[in-house]
Amino acid sequence: MYAIVVGCGKIGYYLTRALLASHNEVVVIERDSRRSEMAADEFGSIMVASDGTEPTVLREAGARRCDLLISTTGSDATNLMACQVAKSEFSIPKVIAVVSDPDHVPLFKSLGIDVTISTTEIILTHIEEELPGGSLVHLLPLQGAANSIVCVRVPSDSPAVGMDLAHVGMPPGTALAAVVNKNGELRPVDGDLLLEADDEVVAITPPDKEDQLWKALTGGP
Amino acid sequence: MIVGCGRVGSMVARTLVAQGDEVTLLDTDAENFRRLAERPGLRMMVGDGTSNEVLRSMGIDEMDAFISLTSQDTLNALAAQAAQLTFGVRHVVCRINDPARQKMYEGLGLRTVSPSQVMTDLVIEALER
Repeated sequence: MYAIVVGCGKIGYYLTRALLASHNEVVVIERDSRRSEMAADEFGSIMVASDGTEPTVLREAGARRCDLLISTTGSDATNLMACQVAKSEFSIPKVIAVVSDPDHVPLFKSLGIDVTISTTEIILTHIEEELPGGSLVHLLPLQGAANSIVCVRVPSDSPAVGMDLAHVGMPPGTALAAVVNKNGELRPVDGDLLLEADDEVVAITPPDKEDQLWKALTGGP
Repeated sequence: MIVGCGRVGSMVARTLVAQGDEVTLLDTDAENFRRLAERPGLRMMVGDGTSNEVLRSMGIDEMDAFISLTSQDTLNALAAQAAQLTFGVRHVVCRINDPARQKMYEGLGLRTVSPSQVMTDLVIEALER
């Protein structure tokens, strides 16, 4: 595969190493000359010290025969433009943008950017996973983030322990998808299911109902 | 709403206010507002025009027109596309300096103005006169 990586900060650097290690052909475009020189010590001639949002730069980097462009700079605006130029000027089959502001994800998707990775959201998810007891983890945003699949663990001191699902007080507009017990076994979801400590409840919910869902399952503030 | 209070942004703001329009001017650097005197109908606010949260708090939902005029094409394109697609502002105009990218964004359905293209046309016209 032939890939163009725009931006050689932390993400771009490690991504390039991984792509090279799995025997892909890679060109990296980095505007900052100091960063570009540093990376050239390791990557050699595949480094281009230039602006990856310029059509001429992308053309010289071989955008016409490229399979994949990934824009990894810290600027959402730069990543969006690099991807839009890649897509509409060179018809690169797959364009991926790193998005820092989660608010921008629906816009990028509606503009036809194939995949967006929100670094902020990934880090938040990791932090939430580390929190003790009843945390709410976002698993996947659905349809422009109108709803998300989330997972809540029921802590042992929650008032929901021993209650059946019908009486837990789920917020309206929320659907329960699955309940997994602490041994990893899937429990059938119906109104009679009694919640146990350390059950993981997977639900589909709009963002503004997350607080209510979390309160219902953990008893937390 | 106008994003970017450089020479062009401040002049467009002044002209619109003189016509009787209400203008909110947004710039990340308060220093840039020294180009303009305070006057009725003009609101000068410090903030990032590429942040949905900032745009929303400035009342973008109520705006009739959105003009992005910073010196950076990337910021202008992101802000203008957010205004047009995320917030549904009716009149959106976007400054794109690079003529190649300007053509591309016109093709993608954005109203764009390229200062370098405009300058070139004027210079050629002046030569021919």
